[in-house]
Amino acid sequence: MTAERKSLVLDEHAAADWIRDGMTLAIGGFINSSHPMALVRQIIRRGIKNLTVVGAASGGLDLDLLIAAGCVKKLVTTYMGGEHYCPVAPFFRIAAQKGELDIFECDEGMFYCSLRAAAQRLPSTPWKAGIGTSFPEINPEIKQYNDPVSGEPMLAIPAITPDLAIIYAAHSDAFGNVQHVGTGFGDRAMWRAAEKTIAQVERVIPNEEVRKNPLATSLVGVDAVVRAPYGSHPFAAPGYYIEDGEHIREYVDAGTAWAKKGDRGPIEAYLEKYILKPKTHEDYLETIGVRRLIALHEY
Amino acid sequence: MTGTGTLAKDFTIKELLATFVSRQVRDGERVAVGAGLHVPRAGILLAHLTRCPNVRLYVVMTFTNLTKEPRMEPFYTVYDYRPAKWAEGYIIHDDFQEDPRIVSDTFVVGGLQIDKFGNSNLIGVGKDYKHLDFRGPGAVGTLSMAHYVDRYYLFVQSHDKRILVDKCDFISTVGWGQGGADGRKKLGIPGSGPVYCMTPLCIMDFDETSKHMRLKSVHPGVTVQQVVDNTGFELIIPKDVPVTEGPTEEELRTLRERIDIEGMLRK
Repeated sequence: MTAERKSLVLDEHAAADWIRDGMTLAIGGFINSSHPMALVRQIIRRGIKNLTVVGAASGGLDLDLLIAAGCVKKLVTTYMGGEHYCPVAPFFRIAAQKGELDIFECDEGMFYCSLRAAAQRLPSTPWKAGIGTSFPEINPEIKQYNDPVSGEPMLAIPAITPDLAIIYAAHSDAFGNVQHVGTGFGDRAMWRAAEKTIAQVERVIPNEEVRKNPLATSLVGVDAVVRAPYGSHPFAAPGYYIEDGEHIREYVDAGTAWAKKGDRGPIEAYLEKYILKPKTHEDYLETIGVRRLIALHEY
Repeated sequence: MTGTGTLAKDFTIKELLATFVSRQVRDGERVAVGAGLHVPRAGILLAHLTRCPNVRLYVVMTFTNLTKEPRMEPFYTVYDYRPAKWAEGYIIHDDFQEDPRIVSDTFVVGGLQIDKFGNSNLIGVGKDYKHLDFRGPGAVGTLSMAHYVDRYYLFVQSHDKRILVDKCDFISTVGWGQGGADGRKKLGIPGSGPVYCMTPLCIMDFDETSKHMRLKSVHPGVTVQQVVDNTGFELIIPKDVPVTEGPTEEELRTLRERIDIEGMLRK
């Protein structure tokens, strides 16, 4: 008898069982694109707390939403905004100003140093950019030292090992061979650094389709696959849909009410309507509505 | 450099700044186009479509050459997938850390604050990092990019004392550090640092010896006094301050008909 190769496909509930209070969780994508939002919404529904969130190199409103919902203790990212939708993410800004959020202050070069150190099982990676800046002072985890070879001042950027990475990609087969459409941003670095990775995908494709173009396989073997069509909404998905600007503005308006007037009413209404009331990803899509979703199909 | 051809008479300050940006680009180099800032984006594309056909453009995670494109379709963000139709090659974003020099030879850096030595701050404003008066978006990749590129440019969308300050509350990107021609070398930082600071009122450069910011030119209709009154540090004022040169008729036509087709620079 020959044993069968095992499918790694899980539903969103089973996948969310992997996410627990206090974890270090990496979330893939880039600003307003390619975030595993079906899983992010499950985190909020379940009331998971005290996460150390390793956001995308340039993070976005996906992380701000987790801050708004009270899930985040510490944040590792280089940028918290929504480009032309909002210059600074609103819940992040207020939480940071009140001193309620631990921030691992870094830039993109340093960010990838942390993930590379984790992947290589090193305590830190040396980096030069940042000497003469405020970073070593405001991020005490970054240490300045003198290089033992040249004697010049350097920064040691500490390893950050995510317990779990959740990333969004266009496709995967049932065995965790992930194929992004587009570049996949920094998702590979998260996958290499993390203990385990869940890929939330637009489509689960046949293994034969993967074998047609193995060069397109961006992550060779994640630990679980979750199928969630439109699963990056309200953010963009390369090759599938553009971001939902109207929805993002609704969120930003709720953030502005909090940031400018201290009014949590609009964000509570947002969370109730889009996240707490719909129990599944399908419920969420029904709340958004088919007309809106189809209107986003630019590619 | 200056423009060749008849100078245009009627243009906006944003079009003038885009023209100034375009004149900093050198043919054959790698240039990152930040999609979010309309003025530098338009300026780089203007250089590419006029003088610099061999520039290797880095646009939203792709490398491309756009000289054969009749008009630039709008793209606003660094994650927009639509410019992928132009891609000659991709950059995987974490490759940036492996070799930051593959992305660009030059760069544009903005800031919540910029000080007299061209150091800039995207972290936040306030004295206490744990309780900032205004938390900024963060450094993005500016710190590492500005460290490795050959040279970079500072750009602010408004010229006022809150932005152009004597000393940044926090430094996210080093310009000339504590000043002096060896200000970067002392810190072991490569690259020739910030060249100009561009604002809606003027262009500023840096004194060769002190690396203190100095007025280079004022835009049409702006007085030196207006610049001084809106700058939060003592600016070096040379004896002669020329007016910033605007676009030529051909540059303005290229800007309006091929690049800024939505008129963002005319608003």
